[in-house]
Amino acid sequence: METTCGSLLSELQKIWDEVGEVDKERDKMLFELEQECLDAYRRKVDQANRCRAQLRQAVADAEAQLADICSALGERPSHIKKSSGSLKKELQEIMPRLEDMKRKRNERKGQFAEVLKQINSISTELAGSTKENLNTILIDENDLSMKRLDDLRSQLLMLQEEKGERLKQVLDQLNVLKALCLVLGMDFKLTVCGVHPSLDDSCCAKSISVDTIESLSATIFRLKDVKLQRMRRLQDLAMTMVELWNLMDAPVEEQQMFQNVTCTIAAAESEITEPNCLSLEFINNAETEVIRLQEMKMSKIKEVFLKKRLVLEEICREAHMVVEGQFGTDFSLESIESGAISTSFLLEQLENQISKVKEEAFSRKEILEKVQKWLAAREEECWLEEYNRVGHNDDNRYNAGRGTHLLLKRAEKARVIVNKIPAMVEALKSKAKAWEKERKVEFLYDGVGLVSMVDQYFELKHLKEQERQRQRDRKKLQGQLLAEQEAIYGSKPSPSKSGNKNLRPSTGGVGNKRFSLGGAMLQNTLADKAALSSRSLLKNNPVKRQSSHNHSNKAFMPHSSGKKNTSAGPVKHHSSNASNSQHAELLPLRKALSPLSSLSSNIISCNFQDQNTKSGDFQDTHVVCKTPATTPTKNVSTHDENRTPKTMPIPVPATPPTVSAAMQTTTTPFTPAIRVAGGVEYSFEEKRAGFVLPRSHSKTLQLV
Amino acid sequence: MTAPPPPPSTGRELSSPPTDGISNLRFSNHSDHLLVSSWDKSVRLYDASANALRGEFMHGGPVLDCCFHDDSSGFSACADHTVRRLVFNYNREDVLGRHDAPVRCVEYSYGTGQVITGSWDKTLKCWDPRGASGQERSLVGTYSQPERVYSLSLVGNRLVVATAGRHVNVYDLRNMSQPEQRRESSLKYQTRCVRCYPNGTGYALSSVEGRVAMEFFDLSEAGQSKKYAFKCHRKSEAGRDIVYPVNAIAFHPIYGTFATGGCDGYVNVWDGNNKKRLYQYTKYPTSIAALSFSRDGRLLAVASSYTYEEGDKDHEPDAIFVRSVNEVEVKPKPKALPNPAT
Repeated sequence: METTCGSLLSELQKIWDEVGEVDKERDKMLFELEQECLDAYRRKVDQANRCRAQLRQAVADAEAQLADICSALGERPSHIKKSSGSLKKELQEIMPRLEDMKRKRNERKGQFAEVLKQINSISTELAGSTKENLNTILIDENDLSMKRLDDLRSQLLMLQEEKGERLKQVLDQLNVLKALCLVLGMDFKLTVCGVHPSLDDSCCAKSISVDTIESLSATIFRLKDVKLQRMRRLQDLAMTMVELWNLMDAPVEEQQMFQNVTCTIAAAESEITEPNCLSLEFINNAETEVIRLQEMKMSKIKEVFLKKRLVLEEICREAHMVVEGQFGTDFSLESIESGAISTSFLLEQLENQISKVKEEAFSRKEILEKVQKWLAAREEECWLEEYNRVGHNDDNRYNAGRGTHLLLKRAEKARVIVNKIPAMVEALKSKAKAWEKERKVEFLYDGVGLVSMVDQYFELKHLKEQERQRQRDRKKLQGQLLAEQEAIYGSKPSPSKSGNKNLRPSTGGVGNKRFSLGGAMLQNTLADKAALSSRSLLKNNPVKRQSSHNHSNKAFMPHSSGKKNTSAGPVKHHSSNASNSQHAELLPLRKALSPLSSLSSNIISCNFQDQNTKSGDFQDTHVVCKTPATTPTKNVSTHDENRTPKTMPIPVPATPPTVSAAMQTTTTPFTPAIRVAGGVEYSFEEKRAGFVLPRSHSKTLQLV
Repeated sequence: MTAPPPPPSTGRELSSPPTDGISNLRFSNHSDHLLVSSWDKSVRLYDASANALRGEFMHGGPVLDCCFHDDSSGFSACADHTVRRLVFNYNREDVLGRHDAPVRCVEYSYGTGQVITGSWDKTLKCWDPRGASGQERSLVGTYSQPERVYSLSLVGNRLVVATAGRHVNVYDLRNMSQPEQRRESSLKYQTRCVRCYPNGTGYALSSVEGRVAMEFFDLSEAGQSKKYAFKCHRKSEAGRDIVYPVNAIAFHPIYGTFATGGCDGYVNVWDGNNKKRLYQYTKYPTSIAALSFSRDGRLLAVASSYTYEEGDKDHEPDAIFVRSVNEVEVKPKPKALPNPAT
């Protein structure tokens, strides 16, 4: 360089010398040269300087980045700055390290993202769909340290654990719910879907949000409540059922059917797990059974009640006490049914009443026996009277017939009894009076005071005595009259029967007025016996038999109606019956078949005509015209029929000739001559088919 | 349903009815199939419940009667003097034999397995349908009748033959050599139809003069005292009774009550025991040519078809109505008074 510059300068010197350049010019030129060289140097130095600054910057940047990343990753910057060589070397050294770190950071970021994603998804699940995206965690670029990652990871783990727990909880609840539904007979799927549709068995991802769990537990609570209620209801029913069973000795088979109901009686809520055992249907079944049992119980109680009442009435009747009025309370069935009085109270009352009545009946027993004896005696008295009365008029009394001696014996006995009556009655009266005094109540015999009865009897007897006396007087008078007549005319008319009849009703009728059922029965049998025994003897004495019949009729009256009855009553009744039946007989039985009047009317009762025929001529009845309801037109038409069917009317007059012609050929079977004359009949089908009978056929027909 | 909807009271009208007068129709004993014979020379098989035409046979002349053999075959009585056996599934027909005149009616006896035909040639013929085609092998016997046969009815082993001239012959199918009873119709006019009671104690016989006689087989006095006749299918108009022929009688298979159809277009249901009319259906367009109850009595087929009682004239189209039968229409209503006819 030096050489070239020096040589170039010397060359320039030479040139200048040759040219003869002035020195001044030469100096100027040389100065310029020097200036230019300096500029060139300066430019190069500046360039180099700038390059160095850039390098330094790059290294610094890389180092800063490296440091950043290291700090973000939480690592100590491994690189300690040591000035090892030139800047370029330094840069070369640092760049791969930076690249490495960057890769590392990205990896870390991925890990974070993964974990965060899981955390987010789980927390979303836990929060439930409603609170989605609420607390999404974002990646913090500045903190990617392992510690943070570990934190997040542990958070994730926690969340996962929580999720598992929740799931377990939900499953547990679902199981509980399932059991409840089973017991209550409800549709599990429906219930669960009501809470959250994802809880259905078919769905795998179950909702585990707090809301779901809460509503699940609410449902469970509600169902448990229902279960409890139903259980109590069922237990009540079961209890009632068992009670009723015990009460009514229900058959085992019947009990077996509801064994599953009664086995719940003592069960705790948790013990009832059998499917459907608390379903509405099951409970309703039990309920209907209980209702049925209760109805049965009611009917049985009624039965018992009626039985008791019958017993009471029986006792009263036997003791000749009036049933009505004995009771303080209303013992009618209606009161039971209406529920106004409790049945047990009523039964108790009734029981009391029965014992009371029994006691009273016992106290009355002695007197009643006496009454019975008295009544029997009266019966005999009546019979004797009758016997005597008839005997007076019956000349055959002493005829030796069968049974006569029996009658005589009976009469003898009766007389003895009748003689005893006054003493008997006196004793009775005093007894009754004593009873009344003791009890301070009137002694009622079938509702009538016994004392008054006795008094009445005496009165009656007295009257009868008087009557008898009068009769005797009359007879005596009559006898005198007869004697006189005999003296005059020499003949003796048959003894008059007048007056005797008048006696009859007063003997039995009035005396029997108060006979009770027992008395009546007795009387009745006596009467019957009397009638029977006297029948042979009194065969030819219709009056006597009639009277005895009347007697028994009357005796029956109190039995049939329980009330005093007029003697005309039953007779009247009978007669009305008779007239009724007579009426029925007289009424013509409606002819089953009414005559046909017209078919077009809407009468459903048909137009059959009852024709009791022997041979096949139903039409004869038209001529006879049995039924008056036949319309005149009818008669006309039948009249026509009987002659010739020519005029038989046909609905459409437009084309009558064809049909009427057909009818013309129709002949009656009884006049074969007409057939020969009138030709052959043809059916509609034959005419339509154009069928004509060959002549030979019609001839053979006549032969047939 | 292609037919225009008929008023509900008349029942459902079957589509594709015969094109000419309907001579008879019968329900199958096994199904609701309906066999219909017609003057248009056809025998048609309908499925009444499906309202469908299942088969059709064309003959050489008007078909006057038809009946079922079993559910898959039947018989026809044709005006071309021929008795045919029809096999529905194969649409095949065999000639069982011939009469000397148009064959008026045909019946099949399940008891004896024989076909009985009555003809206007004044004979009754029994056929064995199992015999191969050919009269000499299928004909069982020929029994001459006093007159042209108009109507036949079977119950058990009893066969009632009603002919022209008001003859009624009662046969025992086991001894066809002569009639068990020879009777004369109790009615004065030509017999239109005879049908036996389902209980086998007698038969009902209708005449052209709006009257039906109820007869009993029992010839004892007590048995005969139950018989009676009644008037029906009449109309009082302007003081005159218009009397219509009674073309058809059909007994209800369960209740034993029966329906009659007349040329007045009415179908009446009667209770023969209690002598009551149970029901009258609304009027059909034209004469009732034939009636049939289905096997269970739930359906009644009514052929509303002019029967030429007034010769050739304009008339309503021929139609088949199938109506469901309400129990109240056919159930006997016992009457209060004791009944001598029961």
